[in-house]
Amino acid sequence: MQNQADKEKERQVTRRGFLKMMGGIGLTGITATIAGCSTDPAGGKGWMPQQYQVASSFPVQVKGRIPIDPTNPSITRDDKKCVLCGQCVEVCQRVQTVYGYYELPIKDDITCVNCGQCTLWCPTAAITERDDIDKVVQALEDKSIHVVVQTAPATRVGLGEEFGMAPGSFVEGKQVAALKKLGFDAVFDTNFSADLTIFEEGTELIKRVTGALDEPLPQFTSCSPGWVKFCEYYYPDLLHHMSTCKSPQQMLGALVKTYYAKEKGISPDKIFSVSIMPCTAKKFEAARPEMNSAGKHAGKPELRDVDVVLTTRELARLIKSKGIDLTSLKDEKYDTLMGESTSAGLIFGATGGVMEAAIRSAYFLITKQEPPEALLNLTPIRGLQGCKEATVNIPGVGDVKVAVVHGLSNARPILEAVRKGDAPYHFIEFMCCPGGCISGGGQPRTSLPPSDEVRQARINSIYNADAHIYAKRKSHENKEVLALYEKFLESPNSHIAHELLHTHYEDRSKHLTVKKNA
Amino acid sequence: MSKGVLVDLTKCVGCGSCTVACKLYNGNAWDETTPTLGDKAKLTGKNWTVVHHKEVKDSNGQPVWRFVKQQCLHCKEPACVSACFAKAFQKTEAGPVIYYPHLCVGCRYCMVACPFNVPKYEWEKAFPLVTKCMMCSDKVEKGEAPACVSVCPADVFKFGEREELLKEAKAIIAKDAKYVKHIYGEEEVGGTDWIYISDVPFDQLGFKTNVTKRSLPSYTASFMHATPFVGITWGVILTGLYHYTKRRNQVSKENNKNIKA
Ligand code: SF4
Ligand code: SF4
Ligand code: SF4
Ligand code: SF4
Ligand code: SF4
Repeated sequence: MQNQADKEKERQVTRRGFLKMMGGIGLTGITATIAGCSTDPAGGKGWMPQQYQVASSFPVQVKGRIPIDPTNPSITRDDKKCVLCGQCVEVCQRVQTVYGYYELPIKDDITCVNCGQCTLWCPTAAITERDDIDKVVQALEDKSIHVVVQTAPATRVGLGEEFGMAPGSFVEGKQVAALKKLGFDAVFDTNFSADLTIFEEGTELIKRVTGALDEPLPQFTSCSPGWVKFCEYYYPDLLHHMSTCKSPQQMLGALVKTYYAKEKGISPDKIFSVSIMPCTAKKFEAARPEMNSAGKHAGKPELRDVDVVLTTRELARLIKSKGIDLTSLKDEKYDTLMGESTSAGLIFGATGGVMEAAIRSAYFLITKQEPPEALLNLTPIRGLQGCKEATVNIPGVGDVKVAVVHGLSNARPILEAVRKGDAPYHFIEFMCCPGGCISGGGQPRTSLPPSDEVRQARINSIYNADAHIYAKRKSHENKEVLALYEKFLESPNSHIAHELLHTHYEDRSKHLTVKKNA
Repeated sequence: MSKGVLVDLTKCVGCGSCTVACKLYNGNAWDETTPTLGDKAKLTGKNWTVVHHKEVKDSNGQPVWRFVKQQCLHCKEPACVSACFAKAFQKTEAGPVIYYPHLCVGCRYCMVACPFNVPKYEWEKAFPLVTKCMMCSDKVEKGEAPACVSVCPADVFKFGEREELLKEAKAIIAKDAKYVKHIYGEEEVGGTDWIYISDVPFDQLGFKTNVTKRSLPSYTASFMHATPFVGITWGVILTGLYHYTKRRNQVSKENNKNIKA
């Protein structure tokens, strides 16, 4: 009687022998092993890169890979699938300028901005998001917990791809329907808090411009957690430029366990707050220690504003695991209170969108007049060019100069200019991922490397909805946001708004030695 | 002249590429229970090299992380070789200490003899062999760097003539104050072909620093070589012979394996 280990060995030997034979080498001596027939049933034992089957072949193109901290909250790697192709280094170093931009020896951290772009470049999906689906399933099964979910602007133009739909398919209503079918008690829209961000961040900008706030210009957007961490690592001296506004995800998270809890009469510790994001860095952001404003507000600092973040890919897996066919679902609507949104909130999902949304409302907030049509289609800051600029004349203020960058390699030159005092801008939008959130590290994987065509299709879908689907195009028209201020927050940048919707940053430069002339 | 590898531990970022390359090149399966990277990493029959994670203090007392790649050090005068009466372990001219499974009788003296606890026994197999890093001797014979060495993205390794590398290592630690003034493997057990430099004292990184500088075979030669014939009972010898014969049969069945006579 052969034991299991022995059988396994025989099986492997047989496979290797066969592959060798296919290659026309090592023909001698195969008979002996093939003769010892395996008694295993047909079929594989799991996925294995081809290299494992062909001993002694060592392709010349193998390269090193990026280091990943095993405690990284965003990404993880299955060593068995890694084929040492070096694509992760390629994207991390060249596109994101993270790996290779610090001196060795390292200090006490593996520098990573959690962007997850490497998950999109890794050809074998050895690198993936850290899977948090189980936590959500558990919460959904627990009837004593009220599970609230929010969906980012960009997931609705990506999710469909996981179900065979064309890139950029607009599945907003189907996504809501799927979430309701999964059993979430309330489905809110991160677009809502994107609109809210415009109030908070716009007010902050006006204060900086008028001198009411003693912080420097240009103001940097703060909604992309990968970008924020990048700035904390490599440009901590510029953190005063960073808007103190939390990202829309964290704003909504803080409101779910305060405003919503109060309106609904539910105790905040009975609420489980989930967000569906195109982004792996959002997992890191939600886990930042200071992201417990609602908990602190309620005297329970152990509560997290957002309990679990699922990427678009994880949501797709969750939907599939429950046997739901997204494509055949009938559109449903977001729940009220924090479900209304304007398309200004929606375009946060694409590069240039935050800036365009801000300008639409800043114009109104300053002049008390609706912006001219040209400002509703601010094409110079749309599209995939790495660094975009525009000058907008706002009566009473004059020329407002803005810049938009996406992909961290594009951020460096402009940050160097700000450092030198050579950047003539009032406001700069930074998005960590090339193309913005529509191509975030949690979105469906496309070609290798990710294709601009798919990025553009998703962007087009967002601007199409902006122009043709959404009824309102300006954040300041969002009735539910106005009601929120009236009932709860008082006014933009109020004391309570600061407590719940604003944050602070951490100088991370002590955890690495930044390369001087990288 | 033998080849060697200079390992600069200050440059390692802990990516584990080297451990993956070793698996790919040598066709070793992944060990489901023992990782190759991190705090729990351990050499096993399947893991010929691992990268340990160490939380230590640097010279300024600051907490820092260091990563330490471990594999056979390819001693210049290997204790494993001298302990092996079956000649399963051999030191090649080019440097690698290699192992011929078909000669091995399974006595595991090599495991006891190795001062660095490198050779591992394939306990889980029906016909276990001893295994360890072979320094990718096929590649080294051709003048190519070992697989693990060739993939490192952080320039941790340098492959070349051991004596040249030693000179280089000396120059590096003389020039740069951050390095400790010690080249691990220069003298340990009479010298190893893999040598290490570091900015954190070697004992804090898990290196065995209490090893003798004299080569081990110089102690063991007389005694170890004689052991099987003098110091042990016939019973043990017969068991050894039994395994030896069994192995021979097994080996002839598997002769598609790359085995030299
Ligand atoms: S998540 Fe981003 S920063 Fe981190 S390793 Fe991947 S590409 Fe680099
Ligand atoms: S991209 Fe994936 S397969 Fe390629 S080296 Fe990186 S982790 Fe390995
Ligand atoms: S380290 Fe151990 S196994 Fe390697 S050559 Fe030296 S004695 Fe032999
Ligand atoms: S030298 Fe070859 S066998 Fe040894 S650890 Fe490196 S890759 Fe593995
Ligand atoms: S490949 Fe290089 S950097 Fe990566 S773990 Fe190995 S020695 Fe360290």
